[in-house]
Order: sequence, then structure tokens, then C-alpha cells
Amino acid sequence: MYVGQAIRRREDERFLRGRGRFVEDITLDQPIAHAAFVRSPHAHAAVTRVDTAQAAAMPGVLAVLTGADWTAAGHGEAEGVWPVKDMSGAESRTAYRPLICVDGVIRCVGEIVAMVVAEDRHQALDAAEAVEVTYEEKPANTVTARALDPDTPLVHPGFGTNEVMVTEHGLKAETEAALANAHHVTEVVVPTNRVTAASMEPRAYLGHYDRVNDRYTVWTTNQAPHIVRRYFTKSLHIPEHKLRVIAPDVGGGFGMKLYHYPEEGLVLWGAIVCDRPVRWVGTRSECLLGDTHARDHYTVGRMGFDENGKILGVKFETLAAFGAYESQWQASITNAYHFTMLSCAYDIPAIHTTVRAVYTNATPVDAYRGAGRPEAVYQVERMIENGAQEMGIDPLELRARNLIPPEKFPYQTALGISYDSGDPPALMEKTKALADYDALRDEQAKLRAEGQWMGIGISAFFDMAGAGPVKMMNDLGAKVGCYDVASVRVHPDGRITVFAGSHSHGQGHETTWSQIAADRLGCDIDHIDLVEGDTDRVPMGIGTWGSRSLSTAGMAVYTAADRVVAKAKRLAAHMMECAPEDLDLADGEFTVKGTDRKLSFAAVANASYHSGDRPPDLEIGLEETSFFDPADCTYPSAIHLCVVMVDPETCAVTLRNYWAVDDVGTVINPMVLHGQVHGGLVQGIGQALMEECAYDAESGQYLSGTFMDYAIPHAEDVPSFGLDAHFTRALGNPLGAKGAGESGTIGAPACICNGVTDALWHLGVRQITQPMTPRKIWRAIEDAKRASH
Amino acid sequence: MDGVSVNFTVNGREVTATVDPRTLLVHFLREHLKLTGTHIGCDTSQCGACTVHLDGKPAKSCALLAVQLEGAEVTTIEGIAGPDGMHPMQAAFKEHHGLQCGFCTPGMVMMGIDIANRHEAPDEATIRSELEGNLCRCTGYHNIVASIAAGASASRRREASG
Amino acid sequence: MYPFTYHRPSSLDDAKARLAASEDGRLLAGGMSLLPTMRFRLASCADLVDLNGIEALAGIERGDGHVRVGAMTRHAAVAGSAEVREAIPALAALAGSIGDVQVRNRGTIGGSICFADPAADYPAGLLGLDATINTDRRAIGADDFFTGLYETALEEGEIAVSVEFAIPERAGWAKFGNQASRFAVVAVMVSQAAGGAVRLAVTGARTHVFRVTEMEQALAANFSEEALDGIPVSSEGLNEDLHADRDYRAHLIGVMARRAVRDALAR
Repeated sequence: MYVGQAIRRREDERFLRGRGRFVEDITLDQPIAHAAFVRSPHAHAAVTRVDTAQAAAMPGVLAVLTGADWTAAGHGEAEGVWPVKDMSGAESRTAYRPLICVDGVIRCVGEIVAMVVAEDRHQALDAAEAVEVTYEEKPANTVTARALDPDTPLVHPGFGTNEVMVTEHGLKAETEAALANAHHVTEVVVPTNRVTAASMEPRAYLGHYDRVNDRYTVWTTNQAPHIVRRYFTKSLHIPEHKLRVIAPDVGGGFGMKLYHYPEEGLVLWGAIVCDRPVRWVGTRSECLLGDTHARDHYTVGRMGFDENGKILGVKFETLAAFGAYESQWQASITNAYHFTMLSCAYDIPAIHTTVRAVYTNATPVDAYRGAGRPEAVYQVERMIENGAQEMGIDPLELRARNLIPPEKFPYQTALGISYDSGDPPALMEKTKALADYDALRDEQAKLRAEGQWMGIGISAFFDMAGAGPVKMMNDLGAKVGCYDVASVRVHPDGRITVFAGSHSHGQGHETTWSQIAADRLGCDIDHIDLVEGDTDRVPMGIGTWGSRSLSTAGMAVYTAADRVVAKAKRLAAHMMECAPEDLDLADGEFTVKGTDRKLSFAAVANASYHSGDRPPDLEIGLEETSFFDPADCTYPSAIHLCVVMVDPETCAVTLRNYWAVDDVGTVINPMVLHGQVHGGLVQGIGQALMEECAYDAESGQYLSGTFMDYAIPHAEDVPSFGLDAHFTRALGNPLGAKGAGESGTIGAPACICNGVTDALWHLGVRQITQPMTPRKIWRAIEDAKRASH
Repeated sequence: MDGVSVNFTVNGREVTATVDPRTLLVHFLREHLKLTGTHIGCDTSQCGACTVHLDGKPAKSCALLAVQLEGAEVTTIEGIAGPDGMHPMQAAFKEHHGLQCGFCTPGMVMMGIDIANRHEAPDEATIRSELEGNLCRCTGYHNIVASIAAGASASRRREASG
Repeated sequence: MYPFTYHRPSSLDDAKARLAASEDGRLLAGGMSLLPTMRFRLASCADLVDLNGIEALAGIERGDGHVRVGAMTRHAAVAGSAEVREAIPALAALAGSIGDVQVRNRGTIGGSICFADPAADYPAGLLGLDATINTDRRAIGADDFFTGLYETALEEGEIAVSVEFAIPERAGWAKFGNQASRFAVVAVMVSQAAGGAVRLAVTGARTHVFRVTEMEQALAANFSEEALDGIPVSSEGLNEDLHADRDYRAHLIGVMARRAVRDALAR
């Protein structure tokens, strides 16, 4: 069995030898021209004049294109695949992100006004600088909490409001009653900071038009290449069968690389106009500005407890920033992934949430690792932490009293979602033991007496992963079918190519999909190759996002392989003159049960293509495709516990320890699983302690435009991690596997913020807005000191 | 602007070229020499994906002009494996799952080799501190730290044995 | 980057001549700040004169009561220098806290002080250690060298050749780095000369490095952390950015000053 083993990754050697093939590495027979973009320096402005004449005459320039050219060419904009739906179910106040400014209005810093295509990078940049644009600056709206204030400028005046939509979920009357009757009510304002994925590979695109065959090709840093074709049907009006999308090695995505970005459409447009392949490789500063941002919620929460700390009800009111436009998957957060997770790992009888989505003059917000769930867990867990502290109940003990007991699974939450399996109390016991919790509390008391500020943070949560089945996700708003696809092709020599609609950009599918296929096919893992990321080679795919690839594409591999085996068994049985049921397949051989009669898989594969001697109703060939629609989402769960030390002088936070105990169901490769958890944790740690896409409240200027100001964790900012697991099987897929890609990011911000709050509670600090930078912690302590005087 | 001629060594091979003085070393490696293993992850010399060895010491090839390399010896990720297989540091990254998407990896490996060169048996704190100039967004660093510790120890064993 | 003509002089005289001949010449030292700035098209020049080929500009020499560091000496060389570690360990600590390993292998003391980034470390080192900057034509005291945001007392065409540090009785270094850039939010170099005079210099907090005379006087009377108790630090005129507002910076000046004193006493 390969499944369950820490098989070393088959993709690693090419990366380790510097032979990865990323979009920037692609070479073609024709010289590739370079694109450069003229971007708005203003957050909100009218464009009154664009003069390209001087730029167009500069050396090496092939084209200078503007929004007027785009409109004249009849091009459009990419449609959302997860459009907004109001409470009524109606799609509401949609303004999709344009690829290039076409209506003379700039709505966020960085919006593209013109594109220059030139022979080389320097010429393109020189000419972009020579494009003359006149802006008439307008007041900007970049503060989410104030987006609906009466004097706030409107991003889309046509709508008459900055409100995109309102959604409500849960049990309103029951929640109000629970809060009214509660022994204790905790209220906290919990904004979730705006962050961005900052994958190490910047976005990059290469467009090519083959005029002879009338075929288009785009090489793209994207996680879902088949969906890219769909976007192009609306932006450049290219039929799906005419466009080949190749997502080669991609250097991290984290959800951020799911979308049809302006530059992706524009380079292909440039290639068509100039009849030359055109490439754009984003600089870090272009990407920190133009990559979708994430989170940006402003939430007020109230949680009611009985005298024993049992949660009676919780109510949330949230403003969720969309940014200047609706990005293609935006509503997956508000309409599917945020509200559904507001019960976390707790048995809460009454929950009610109202979300008002709002436009602001900022970069569009869309999914980033966790997508709505980090916000939800942060919102719930901050209430629980403060409630426990206020009531004087040990925070772990209070949580333990509220965890969903194993006998309640499948557990129906107050929000209408059903968790299929889990055992939160078992996770809590393991967490407590792993961290030696009681000893930590003793140490905390001792250190506090010495003037040292140690805090212990906890978070306990569920995740909704593995988006599917199609119907359920349609009901939650998806206009893409949430299934996935795999083909298993057995070649005449018995070797195998697996084609999958998922896309690995760090997840290690070449290894894990091969583990699944090798077990089902009874073959050596080295006899399997995987193809992903090419729409001309893979039949269809929905891509890798939302911790879904294993329970959809991985299961499609499983299912297609089983179909191959079933067919091969029929042929083998015919060749061996026995019944298919009598055959076992292992180690590359069919064996007749209870005998030593054997026939190699390779011989059967060869016969399937080249022998006329077969059952009359058996088709030639050995290749099967599965379009796998899972029975349910998967519901991984986890509990995190951390120790933070806050420096009483500088107020800097040192994350001393971090433990995570996960329930991800069946594990394919524990090494890969741990890697996913580690990486997710550090992105969550970044959100909690340092990351922020910041805008100047007055001018709307973007303040975190380079890695000099946007802080992502360095190696010395984080500890090594202590991981453990407690597995319950997922019920929605035959492997029993749950998603594992987002758990770390979902639980870490809440855990760390609770830890810092715990460290500073005795000083009167109750809540610090993320990211909890030294500056903010110092200010919170100063404010608390002043308040106590 | 007139091209400037420059002669230096890359992975043991002599390179002679006439380049636009604006050409960064990383662009020269990637575009002129087609050594695309060295990556560009930022524009402020923070991320370290472009780390190469310049005269035996790690340097960020995005903050050097190719024309500055006259007479220098440059080693890139493509130049460290031996005829018998990967460098022990490369092998350690594979064994300890020190990479996911692979984009920061060349810089991390080049830095790992340098850490091993300068520290007898680097502990976790040393490795984390020495990685100040290299960013990774996938691994959470846990397994990179483990890989470099193991790679350093394997490199020493290889030296000791011959 | 905007286009420029590249020059690779092999001697200081050659460099001076090329700089003098240019309408718009700039010197390239380590390039750790200049080249990224040029990449962003925030800096440009017609002629870029690269000092990296001039061997005479690099090196560390211990003389009678001072250490002289050549302008093209890399941060890693200063951090690792046995002479510096023995004579002024706080200076070695400062050099070892700049940027990261790769930057320290390339960046130079001359480049750092002439670029005069408001958050650079070396300016605090020079001012706090009472250094003298030797140029191709004169000697400039650190007190007179740093004149403003990215501004120094260097004249057109003047080239910094070396920095001479008087060896103090004791000195300490403390730095609080920006979470993103790792540049100093606030960093402090404190030193006490054999005669008892104290210098305490702060970088990262204003347009350019400055001394805090109240602290210096208190420390001259009693070189201890406690001597700094109760000395207020005004937030007026301090830098304000995403990472630190004025009040927090003022607070950090007090904290880093105490830590620098602690560091000096521990060495």
C-alpha cells in the first residue's frame, strides 16, 4: 500500500536542480514581446485624457493599447463564477473588475489605464512612462467600517449605495432570546485585517495566437486552467475549444491565483494585436497591489453564556469589503464559506449573522487560503476567549464544556450545515496532553509574578473543505460545477498516465495522486506519470482550491482507476478462462484466487489494444475517465494551542510554541499533510502578527506596496510546530479523506490573538486589532493604563 | 546605451558577453544563459529567491549588475549537483520535504549550502537567523530548517569520507 | 532602470576623474540600496562609477586608539573582523545586524553612510562612536556628516575613502527592526570614551541620525540603565509610518537606549 506512506515527492528533483518550468521560464520559437502597464496612482479619479502618441513612437514599441481600443474591439469583462446573491436570492449590484479602465473612472490604486507592448523589458517600461494620463482626483473610500456612512464617497454611484448586498443566516429570534436571557454577554469588535497571499512566484502570463490554425494559447500562473477558458469566453470572446490554457509549474497560489486578472486577458489581446507572443511578469510591487486581497471584515459580535459558561447564542454583524469591484469568486466567501463556519467546533444552539458586503476604493477582495473561515473562527473564538476571561473560567475548560460531543455526529449546526464526522473532545484531550496545558498555566502564573507576559491561546474549529457536490454548491451560489475529473490511461506496455483536472502548485499531486492510483491499479508507483494544468491534454477540471483536490480529483483518480481495473479484469478473465471475480490484482499481476496462475497487467494492457481475442461486448483500449461528484463537502476539524511571550518593553510578540491537532480523515501522505499544516499555520501567524494591506484613510494611497512594508513571516519569526492527529473518516468519499490545505491558516489567527489577549488581560487589555504589531500592542497597553486611572 | 563586455565564470564555465549595463545578474543568468533556476520573487532584495554564490559567498543576483561580475565566479542552483547525483543539501531538501511549490527553493538551497559552509553543526536558532534574507510562503520553514540541518550534517559526512 | 554608462575604474584617481567628467555621475558601492532604487526608477544617473574594483578602498586597520575601516569594506568583513570585535565589539554587532547574510556580503560602510537612509544602522554607529569620515579631500566629523534625509555633507564629486572610529572605553548597540524590511524602526549606539564623555545616537526615528544630549549627560554622570529613568523622550518631529507612530517611536528610543547601555555594560 502506498496510501498512508510518507513517500518522498516525485516532483522535487526538478525544482531542486533548478529545472522547474514556470511561466517566466517558457521559451518559444518566436521572440516574446514584453508588456508593461500604465496604472493609476490614485484610488479614485476620473481619467480625462490618455495620450499614447509619444509612447507609440518610441524604439521597440509594438503597440500601446487603451480602454478605448478595448471597447472598440468589442471585448468585455470576465463574469463571476460565484456571483453575489442577496437574501432574496437575486444577483445584486454586480460590478465586475474590468481588465482595463473603459469608463474613465478609476476605482482603486493600480487600475490599468494602458498597456505597452515592446520588444524588450526596458523599452516597454520606458514607453509606459511616456504615456500621458490626466487624472482628476476624487475623495476615496478605503475604510471598511465607514463604507456605509452617509458622507462616504460612492464607488459606483449608479447603485446609489456602497452596499453590494445583505445576507442573513441562522436563527434570529432564538439568538435574540438567548442573548436576552444569558447570564453573561460578551461583546467584542473584531475587525479582520486585509491581507494578501503573496505567493513567492509573482503572477505572470504569456499569450500566443496561432493565426494559421486560429488557436490561442495562454500560459498562466493559475490554479484552475479549465476555468480560465470560461473567463475568456466573456473577456476576449474566445470559444473554449479555441483556447489552450497551460498552467505549468506555479509557484504557490493559495486561492489568489484562481482569477482572470486584467493582465491575463490583456497579454493575449496584445498577442493578437501584435501577432507576436507577449509576456508579462509581475513585479512584487505590482502584485502586492494587483493580486486579490483577502479578509477585510469589520464585525461586532455578542455571545451569551449561562452561569456555567455554556454558550447559549451568538450574534454577528459584519461589514465585508469587496474592494472596488466584484472579483470572480468573491461571493464564495460571503455566501458559502463564512457564515457556514460560525459554529466552529461548538454546540451552539442559536447563531445569527448579518453580512453587509460593501464596495470600497481598494483592490478587490477574493478567496485566499481559508476564505471566510479564518474570519469566522476569529470572530467566534475571540468571543469565547473574552467570555471565559470575563467569567473567570479557564479558557480551555470553557471550550471543553461547549465542544460538540462525538455522539452528536452528524452534527447539524444552527446555520444549517451538517458536519459529517468528528470528535472535538478527543482533539481537545490530545491537544491538552501535547501541550502539557496545566504546566503551561503554572508557568504563566510564575512568569507573570516575575513581570513576564506569557499568554496561552486556543482555537477549536471546523472547516468546510472539498467543495462539492455540484448541487449543494450551486445552492450556495456556485456557477461552476464543483466536481472534478481524472482519466487513467493504460498504455499498451502497461505503464500509466493519469490526467487530472486539479492543479498542483506545491501540494505534491505527482506523488499523492500516484499513490492512490498505484494502490488501486496494483502497480509500482514509478509506472505512473501525472499530467495536470493543460486544457488540451486533460479533459476537464475545476482546479485546486478550497482543500478540495483530494476529495474530488483524487477521488476521480480512484474511481477511474477502479474502472480500468474492472475492465482489465474482464479481459484478463477472458484470457485466463476464469471469472473476473476470481482474479486478484497486485504487484502488476493478475492471479487466479487460490492458484498460482498469473498473467501480467502489461500483457492484458497489450492485449486490450492489439488482440482481437476479447469478450464480444468489450471495447478496445484501456482508458477510463471519471467525472467525480462527491456526496458531500468534507469537514476537517482541528484544535490549536500556542504560547506567546510579549516583551514588556518593546511589546513585540515572540511565538514560543505552537501545537495543532488535526482531524483530516484518511491520510494519503503524512509528510505532505504536515507540510500543508506547517505552511498554513505560518500564513495564519502572518495574518495575526504582521501582515496588512494598508491604505491611507484620507488619500486612499496604498501603503504596503513592497516587501519593505508588507511583512510576511521570516524563518526566525516562527517556531517549529508540534503536530498530532485524531482521525475520523469522512463519509462523503470512499477514501474517507478530508481536506487539509487550509486548516493551519483558519485556526492560527484566532489562536494567536487569544494568546496575546491572555498575556495582557491582567493589564486591562481586551482586544487588539490584527495584525497585532508591537506598535498596536504598546498602544493598547497605554490605553488600558489610562482607562484604569 | 552601449553594451559593455564582461567575462566571468558561471558554474565553472567561462562566459563572455556584451550586455546593456542595466542588465541585472539575475536577468543575465535567466535570459542570456538560460539558467532559469534562479528566480525573482521581489523587487527590493528581500526574498532571496535569486540567491547565487558569488566568489563562494551567497549574494542576491537581483541587486548586482551583470557588468559588475568581471572576473568573478558565480555558482547557481544548476551548478551544485555532482555527476553522481544531487548535492547533499539538495538531497536533504527532498528527504525532509523542504519544498512545496519549488519557487524559493533554489535560493534556500544555495543559502543552506552557505550555512553548512560556515557552521559546524548549525542548530535551529542559527539556521532560522541565517535565513533572514530568504522568504518562503509554502512550507512554514519547519521542514526547510530540518532540511538544512540534515544537509549540513550530510555535507560534513561527505567531506569526512573523502 | 533608466539607461546609464557604466564605469569600472581601477583606482581612486580614475574614479574621481570619471566622476568629475560626468554631468550626472553617481558612485556605486555595494549597491544594496542604490540598485533597487534604480530598479524602481526612483534614482537615475548618466554615469555609474563602480568602486568595487578599487582594492585600496577596502580593509580594516587598527591604529593607535582607533580603527580605520575602508569605505568599500563589506558589512560581513566588519562583523567578522577580529580587530573590530576586540576593539569595538558593538561596531561588529552593528555590522552583523544589517540586512541579511547576502546583503552583508555585498553592502559596504561607505555606501551605507553616503546613501544616508534614515533607517540605516551605520549612521548611528558613526555618530555614537564619534567617527571621522575621511574623504578624498578632507576629514569630516560624524556630527557634521549627516545633514538630512538621504543627505550628507559630501560635496559634488567628493568620495568617502574611510571611516575612523576612536576606540571607546565601552559601547553598546541595540536595534529594533521593522517586521517587513528589517531596517531599524529605532536603533541606538551608545559609547563612553576613556575620558568619560558619552555619545548616544539614534537612527530610524527622524530624517537622519541624531544624538540625545539629555541621555548623554545623565550617562556621563552615571553609566547605567537607571541613569536614563525619567528622561522624557519627546515624540515631536519623529517619523511616523505603518510600523511605528511618533509616540511608539519615542517609547522605543527609551527602550533601545537602555538596551544599548545594557549591551555596553555586558561587553
